[in-house]
Amino acid sequence: MASPVVHLPEAQLRPLLASYDAAVRSRRFHSLLVMACIVAAIGLSSVSAEVDLAKFFGNLGNFTSYIWRLFHLDNGAWVWADPVEWYWGAARWLRLLGETLLMAYVGTALGAIGAFFLAFLAAANVAPRPWLRLLVRRFCELCRTVPQLVFALMFVIAFGLGPLAGVLAMAIHTLGALGKLFAEVVENIDMKPVEGVSATGAHWTAAMRYGALPQTLSNFVSYSLLRFEINVREAAVMGFVGAGGIGMDLIEAIRKFYYSDVSAILLMIVVTVAVIDTLTSMARHRLIGMEERH
Amino acid sequence: MAGRMKVDTAAIRSRHPHYFGPPARDRQVLMLAGAAAVILLVAAMAELGFFGAKLIGGIDKLGDIAVLMMPPSPGDWAHVRLYLLSLMETIAISFLGTLLAAVIALPIALLAARNVTVQRVLRFFTRRSLDIIRSVDILIWALIWINVVGLGPFAGVLAIMTSDIGNFGKLFSEAIEAVDRKPREGIVASGGGAVLGIRFGILPEVFPVLASQVLYFFESNTRSATIIGIVGAGGIGLHLAEAIRTLELQQVSFIILLILVAVAAIDVVSNQLRFALIGRRARLA
Amino acid sequence: MLRLDGVVKKFGDKRAVDGISLVVPKGQMVGVIGQSGSGKSTLLRMINRLNDPSEGRIFFEGADVTRLTGRELRQWRARCAMIFQQFNLAGRLDVLTNVMMGRAFHAPLWRALLKLWTHDEKAMGLSALEGLDMARLSGQRADTLSGGQQQRVAIARALIQEPEIILADEPIASLDPRNTQVVMDALQHINRHFGITVMCNLHSLDLARKYCDRLVGLAAGRLVFDDVPAALTDSVARDLYGLESGEVLGPESRPDLVPAPGLAIAN
Ligand SMILES: Nc1ncnc2c1ncn2[C@@H]1O[C@H](COP(=O)(O)OP(=O)(O)O)[C@@H](O)[C@H]1O
Ligand SMILES: [Mg+2]
Repeated sequence: MASPVVHLPEAQLRPLLASYDAAVRSRRFHSLLVMACIVAAIGLSSVSAEVDLAKFFGNLGNFTSYIWRLFHLDNGAWVWADPVEWYWGAARWLRLLGETLLMAYVGTALGAIGAFFLAFLAAANVAPRPWLRLLVRRFCELCRTVPQLVFALMFVIAFGLGPLAGVLAMAIHTLGALGKLFAEVVENIDMKPVEGVSATGAHWTAAMRYGALPQTLSNFVSYSLLRFEINVREAAVMGFVGAGGIGMDLIEAIRKFYYSDVSAILLMIVVTVAVIDTLTSMARHRLIGMEERH
Repeated sequence: MAGRMKVDTAAIRSRHPHYFGPPARDRQVLMLAGAAAVILLVAAMAELGFFGAKLIGGIDKLGDIAVLMMPPSPGDWAHVRLYLLSLMETIAISFLGTLLAAVIALPIALLAARNVTVQRVLRFFTRRSLDIIRSVDILIWALIWINVVGLGPFAGVLAIMTSDIGNFGKLFSEAIEAVDRKPREGIVASGGGAVLGIRFGILPEVFPVLASQVLYFFESNTRSATIIGIVGAGGIGLHLAEAIRTLELQQVSFIILLILVAVAAIDVVSNQLRFALIGRRARLA
Repeated sequence: MLRLDGVVKKFGDKRAVDGISLVVPKGQMVGVIGQSGSGKSTLLRMINRLNDPSEGRIFFEGADVTRLTGRELRQWRARCAMIFQQFNLAGRLDVLTNVMMGRAFHAPLWRALLKLWTHDEKAMGLSALEGLDMARLSGQRADTLSGGQQQRVAIARALIQEPEIILADEPIASLDPRNTQVVMDALQHINRHFGITVMCNLHSLDLARKYCDRLVGLAAGRLVFDDVPAALTDSVARDLYGLESGEVLGPESRPDLVPAPGLAIAN
């Protein structure tokens, strides 16, 4: 069968090819330039971050043997061969895990309550005073940009070792993160009900309570639940700086090479996080379902 | 009078249910849940030591600390140099970790994407593995990598990489699943195999989305990179933890200030790049 | 010769295509007509194997193509080009790269992956584009083109497959009248001059009558009409579409509204 493509004579083809190649070349030059920048940045960063591929590949065996050792007891048996031995510290770890969850809960709740009040002061559409709005925004920004663990380190000095410092650090960070999100929620509300309440001569607080709040509540709860998921993970490492929770035992186990303890605690954390994630996402869907029903 | 104002509440309620808030049963459930939440909160606060002398004393001490932190000061020029160098190290850790994670996460994301991997079991295990990676905090990864490659920034790079493989794997696979299936179908219908379908039908379409996600994480990872130093995985966190422990509080506030400036700068740069990427797309759409 | 033998496609409980048997001789231009949802797209997609038939078999030149897998399946797809209503181009790639996907089966994988097309391959792509008056746009991104231009790129991609049969699924449904004419003329030209079989899903009966040698009518997945266009009377069309004849024969049936002839194909 004849090819349905009628080949152009070379003379006619040449300018077409040339113009295509020119178009491709300019684009390719652009990508090469970007690639060159990235490669240069990789080079510089590798020096700065002391990347040592020889050491990495040399020690990669360590990684596999490390993982292997994580799942073996001191006597050389697989951890699941003797669950009682593996979870010898179950009682203590469960208590610490409970403390971790309580930390996440209190930290999220306190942060959310604070953010709730700040949001109405920080939202552009309802803020009572412009200067106050700016001040609140800056404050929230500071709270969420300084890492949680840095707050925790300082609070440990002020409040002593223990969960109190961790919870307060978490509450402050949550306040900053949720304050911004909550303010955005308030900025997206329908203003008609607020104006309606204000028009009756009501005070600002009343306008917020009856005009703005009903529209925002379910979003607030939804964001708080998401934050709770994050905070459970974060609470698990607060103990690294002495600020309570299961992290305390975890870092000791890692530092002192108690391999099977590390895997036991990690497994508890992974399972807890999975359960919490499932529960909160169920709660969020329930919430959305409730919203849609009326 | 009373006769004129008589209102058939039940009829109005049934005609305009949305003016009457959630149905009675829902409202009861919500109120019970709220009450339980408050009781739990108070009990938990008691358990965690909120109502003792510790809190009052601590707040008092915190006030002293805040005063001592002002004004921020590095101490001397040698410290300025040291801090700037480790700030650079922090940014380098974040950059390399994010980039490595993106490169490794892409093939994993393809395995986790419904429209690419039809093998359900493989997809399931890939997704579960990503979930597990994500549920372990970056600091824990840092500690594990320290055991493998020793103390130092390289462990930090690997920690950020590991943690972000989990994040990127999930986000990338979602982006891939959301991609228009038509371009790939066009290639497959002309006799191209799966590899060409992915190379020309999927990757060019998702590239701007992925790049934008990577840039976003670069910024948030710089924040994470400032704390992995606390456990010994490089970066400025080491000096920050040191300064806090030795109560060099003016240096603490100086370092925090440095971190805030660096994060803000990277935020601006990555937003510009993201805008350039997405903006270019929007203009042509 | 293409032969369909009791082909069925089920989506869950729904029989989208319900037992169609059909013989299409080489070189015929067949129009497939029927209401939206009657199974036209599914039928064509099964021939290209984008969908697999639930029952029945499809033969081409005596060989069963229903069970092909791997390389053989791709070879069959290369022989049977597909043109889509939405063009199915990769919008962010340039025009010529999109066209070169038509050589995806023939070029070695590593070369295709790196876009290292040979001079001959590029010449072929550009010639096909030039035949459709598109070569000067070869370096442009596909998503910057108009619908009509994109469909011409898709046709060029189909042409450099050097196919034996072209399946076109409502190729003009997203186009304006002028581009409709360009695309339909191109398909007719390919059919007449190179003897390539064309199966074309069409919404408009007038176009189907004007361009096709034979019309196949589907209703609810079943074959309800199979004859020359002249046999498609208004009453048959009414049955097929369940409409009044005035609605079936839209404004295009009036010759004064048919747009002026477009450009010539190939040279
Ligand atoms: N992937 C699919 N999944 C489920 N049902 C489908 C799918 N593709 C098509 N169908 C159904 O099959 C029937 C025929 O569709 P189609 O072949 O697209 O018809 P036409 O092209 O004639 O409009 C329609 O009822 C459609 O809803
Ligand atoms: Mg269709």
